[in-house]
Amino acid sequence: MNQQTEILNSYLTFRLGDEIFAANVSKISEILEIPKITKVPRSPDFMRGVVNLRGTVLPVIDTRSKFGLAAVADTVNTCIIVMNLSLEGQPITIGAIVDEVQEVMEIEDTNIQAAPSVGAKYKTEFIEGMVKKNDLFIMLLNLDMVFSHDETHMLQELAGSKDAAEDKSNSKK
Amino acid sequence: MSKTILIVDDSESIRELLRLQLELHGYKVLKGVDGQDAVHHLNGQKIDLVITDLIMPRMDGVGLILEIRKNDKYAFTPVLVLTTESQAAKKEEAKVAGATGWIGKPIVTEKLLEVIKKIIR
Amino acid sequence: MDNLKAIFMAEAAELIADIERALLQLEQDQQNKEGIQSIFRAMHTLKGSASMFGFDTVSTLTHHLESIYESIRDGKNQLSTTILSTTFKGLDHLQKLIDDPTMENEGVQQNHALLLKEIINLEQEQHQDIAKNGVALLTVPVSVEEVTTYYIYFLPPSTIAHNGTNALYLVEDLLNLGDAVAIPFFNNLPSFEELAPDASYIGFELVLSTSKTEKDIRDVFMFVEGECELTIVKIAAGNVLADQAVQTKLLGEQNLDAPKGVEKIKDILTASAPALAQSSQATGKAAQAVSSIRVSSERLDELMNLVSELVTTQARLSLFAGQETSNEVATIAENVEKITRRLRDNAFSMCLIPVENLVVRFSRLVRDLSTELKKDISFKTEGTDTEIDKSVIEKLTDPILHLLRNCIDHGIELPAERRKKGKPAQGTILLKSYYSGANVIIQIIDDGAGIDLGKVKKKAISRGLIAEGAELSEKELLDLIFLPGFSTADQLTGVSGRGVGMDVVKRNIADIRGEIELNTKAGEGTTFTIKLPLTLSIIDGLLVRIKETDFIIPLVVVDKCYEVETTLLTQAFNQWVTLDGERIPFLFLRNEFSIYENPPVLSQVIKVAYEGRVIGLAVDRIIGQYQAVLKPLGQLYHNQNECSGATILGDGSVALVLDTAKLINKLFIKTKPMEYEPAN
Repeated sequence: MNQQTEILNSYLTFRLGDEIFAANVSKISEILEIPKITKVPRSPDFMRGVVNLRGTVLPVIDTRSKFGLAAVADTVNTCIIVMNLSLEGQPITIGAIVDEVQEVMEIEDTNIQAAPSVGAKYKTEFIEGMVKKNDLFIMLLNLDMVFSHDETHMLQELAGSKDAAEDKSNSKK
Repeated sequence: MSKTILIVDDSESIRELLRLQLELHGYKVLKGVDGQDAVHHLNGQKIDLVITDLIMPRMDGVGLILEIRKNDKYAFTPVLVLTTESQAAKKEEAKVAGATGWIGKPIVTEKLLEVIKKIIR
Repeated sequence: MDNLKAIFMAEAAELIADIERALLQLEQDQQNKEGIQSIFRAMHTLKGSASMFGFDTVSTLTHHLESIYESIRDGKNQLSTTILSTTFKGLDHLQKLIDDPTMENEGVQQNHALLLKEIINLEQEQHQDIAKNGVALLTVPVSVEEVTTYYIYFLPPSTIAHNGTNALYLVEDLLNLGDAVAIPFFNNLPSFEELAPDASYIGFELVLSTSKTEKDIRDVFMFVEGECELTIVKIAAGNVLADQAVQTKLLGEQNLDAPKGVEKIKDILTASAPALAQSSQATGKAAQAVSSIRVSSERLDELMNLVSELVTTQARLSLFAGQETSNEVATIAENVEKITRRLRDNAFSMCLIPVENLVVRFSRLVRDLSTELKKDISFKTEGTDTEIDKSVIEKLTDPILHLLRNCIDHGIELPAERRKKGKPAQGTILLKSYYSGANVIIQIIDDGAGIDLGKVKKKAISRGLIAEGAELSEKELLDLIFLPGFSTADQLTGVSGRGVGMDVVKRNIADIRGEIELNTKAGEGTTFTIKLPLTLSIIDGLLVRIKETDFIIPLVVVDKCYEVETTLLTQAFNQWVTLDGERIPFLFLRNEFSIYENPPVLSQVIKVAYEGRVIGLAVDRIIGQYQAVLKPLGQLYHNQNECSGATILGDGSVALVLDTAKLINKLFIKTKPMEYEPAN
């Protein structure tokens, strides 16, 4: 029983810009350095392209772009987190490009605070909760929602640009 | 004794492709970039088969076939032409001029080898 | 023990399928003794193994069915539609029993008791009414290799050598098709003075026993058929030449002055081989069974995976060999490539299944449903030896079943109605499959009522799919049928008309990268056409590059490559380029894919042809031929149009495989996007 709860509470933290996020390790399979990425033509900006993962074609998402952050050049720390998610009930493996991966930490359920709904920077369906460590707030992500959705931005404000982006991705259908 | 095949096509990639495949299967290969160039090879040396494209600058496939058939030493040499579906009329012309057979483009290696075996052995 | 049980269950399933097939044949031809015998034999086998493996319920039921057929075989009883229907029901039940032998399921239990009673009743009756013909169904030919004996007459023109053809090679090719004896004739031989050394005077008559088809025989003559006298006649089923005595007799013929003709040859053969089976059809009983073994599909899948990995690794080897200076390494690498290609073709062919495997299921459906709806329908098939990858076939079954249901339910009219329209009372549904280029086409053609476009339009308007006064072309109207929730059935029959149909069919077919099209003529019938790519997951491609991205163009569509100055392309008027004197439309792929920086001075234009349409695709460079293992791009790229997949190159990077059909359609089909306004 103890073993079980330990796994549930292990999170991988990573950095995007100035903010720290955490993702439950149960959905994470590995971390890769950035290999050559093949951009697939006519795809949304946040889809950086595909890479070769031991013979499988893995789509990689530019997480900064998804979170509405300006693009920056990749550094030595930039890497890909490979995750196993669920899209419309079907299992799917994707890679998420992040600025830096930090550590795996244990987070007790009791320490998790609910994400604020009003005035929050990110939409609540993407955030499972928050945790305070030292002086930082770490946002726990709902990976399935964040990465399997078509929406290009998750920011609550920027309503204008979000709608425009959504229209663009919807009209392509 | 291995057989010698003369490949005539103005496309370098096709010449190379064919050469690689044929040499792999034990044929000796000569190349010509078009009809006129190919004629230079008709100097009495042993040529067991000619594979030629139909549309080429300077001298085209039909012209080459006529030259081959006029030449005493090569009057009975088998000639295969490379054709595409849009060239039915040219194919007829080639046949009348003396072509032995044809193979459609794109060239599938296994098919090509089969057809070659039908004609030279 | 479980393993053995599994083997029994698999064998039982096959036996049941065999019996079902034989039953369907029997329905059309109730007198066929061979059919009765084979059904009896299969039931006998099933009964025996069932009891051996402890499937007593199966054994008992089968035993009673078997006795019915035994008595029919012995002439003590007559086949009837009742017996046939009961046997069909029995088979369905047996299949359930095999999965649930102790009858845990109550439904199965009850059904079992009823069925048993029914069968025993039939068993005990001495006479049955000779029933009218039930629903006529065409036979499903059992595919087994058959040997046929042919007579071939072949006289090449005297000038044949002038085309570089060696007529003896042709005879040799024929001899290699099976057992054969060739008898030359010399009546065209002139006197010595008139003999021309480069002319051909000899003709040949051959007797050939082969399992190849007539088409294979004609293929031997493919380059010369127009110029030669050629006759091919089937003279017998079976291998007449198997008997040495026959061969000796033929070879002993002394008179070679003139051709003997097919009748004389037949006489010679019958004289020396008294048991010559004559039949006008070639479906001889002297069949040679193809030896085969059963392989689990997991093993096949694993084989395919390994082959794919081998292809990828071999690409790396070739890359490596190209960089090394050793000739020997290069030779070895080329050999590996050659063998890998053959291994791949071989492995693929193992995963191909003929469409015919599905036909029994379809025949059954047509039969059951048309009986239920009191319609008279003949189900015909054409080209069912067309093979499709097994994974695709599995996904095709449901859509086709649904289309057939639609056909029977809404398409074919009741016999009385048909007669009123001047049509034969019996309707026909034709399932046709064939190859077309790089696709497999499956058509379901019926001669029923067709689709009423007026009704479609009304329904669409009432469902708010189109505006009241909208003007739609016939194609656009028909496309509406594929929208979710659409159904023109006035009443919901239990079968279809639930409105869950056509959009699901379309989606299922799209999932296997296929397309479905619909054509109809009111009052005359409807045709559904399903087009599927030959899903070979390894294709021969042409590797090209634009800037730093590599693409694969399937070699199947590639015609020729040209070098063209880039400026000619970027400044082209109306997107036409002239290649070899032909003006063809082209796509400047840099523009299509938004790769704008640093175009090279010279571009490569690859002429591709697809279904009669020709276009050029402009890229930066052509790298070479490449065996590409197709990998899916995944769900996230579901809406991707230009690329049908990706592949891993020898250096580990990913190349994108272009969907040339879609690219070509871009230039040719300019449809106006439909503007739907919701009816308010």
